[in-house]
Amino acid sequence: MEITIIRKQDDAIHFLLEGAHVGFANALRRTMLTRVPSMSIDEVLILENTSVMYDEILAHRLGLVPLVTKLDDYNLPEECDCEGKGCSLCQCTLTLEKEAGDQDMMVYSGDLSSQDPEVMPATEGIPLVKLAPHQTLILEAYARLGTGLENAKFQPVATVAYKNVPLVSVDKSKCNQCGDCVEVCPKNILVLEDDVLSTQNTLECSLCEACVRVCEPGAVTIDSKEDSFLFKVESTGALPPEEIVERAAEILKERIGEALDFANSL
Amino acid sequence: MIIPVRCFTCGKVVADKFEEFRREVRQGEDPAIVLDRLGLHRYCCRRMLLSHIDIIDSFMAFATSELVEET
Repeated sequence: MEITIIRKQDDAIHFLLEGAHVGFANALRRTMLTRVPSMSIDEVLILENTSVMYDEILAHRLGLVPLVTKLDDYNLPEECDCEGKGCSLCQCTLTLEKEAGDQDMMVYSGDLSSQDPEVMPATEGIPLVKLAPHQTLILEAYARLGTGLENAKFQPVATVAYKNVPLVSVDKSKCNQCGDCVEVCPKNILVLEDDVLSTQNTLECSLCEACVRVCEPGAVTIDSKEDSFLFKVESTGALPPEEIVERAAEILKERIGEALDFANSL
Repeated sequence: MIIPVRCFTCGKVVADKFEEFRREVRQGEDPAIVLDRLGLHRYCCRRMLLSHIDIIDSFMAFATSELVEET
């Protein structure tokens, strides 16, 4: 099995996984979605809220704000020594206190102040609520680790998707250089230059086969490589994308180990 | 009421991009170009901003600025 990083950005990573079974690729994807923990606000204590928004809606919005997570600093509540009651090892308190003056005021996720400077909203510009003049909002929020299995707000990823590596081939003897396939391709993969049809950026191909339909039979063929996968992992900002993949691989290995131990004990 | 924090379908955070989107579209920029620049490439996230109507300002017209005293 081989992994090649194709493109890495702050919030997303594209990589190529070669020599793996589709079952493995999907297990990795699902582990990233449901098993990698991340921090999220789970309980909100509203001390004062005179805004037009109901407490419940506000609490829900707070829960959806992704928080920067340091996985090594916190325990999952069910694995913590406090048995899930909530201690400084498994919980982080954030507070928000805002009062509008004579003007309307927007409250942003960046206005949350955290007990732990490491655990902060991943993006500061999320509007939470708008306050009319002289309205106040005072609340305390408790963040904890959780997994996507429990609630989607704990997912460290927005999307994880994979596709098979596309293989685009051109049979030059059957091509009549009409150029229809070049026009019809939504990803601009086919190019006609000096009466020769060639391909570029074939990894971008979405396997729509529009070119096959407009072409002479057999001139362009689209196929996919069954054992190679192009992954796209998009982080919410809670964890860096490469850490999500690493953690998912560790968790998957651990879980496969557990399953094997169980099978061997039968 | 107010822009949803995340995309309903894929879970990407879209709320932090709404104010910039609204400002630029009001200045006459093509929404498609603004959405591309904001990094919203999937149509699920794009519709979140495109189809949103902010009505919190209309609600605020009926706001009470003080806590109602219990009598």
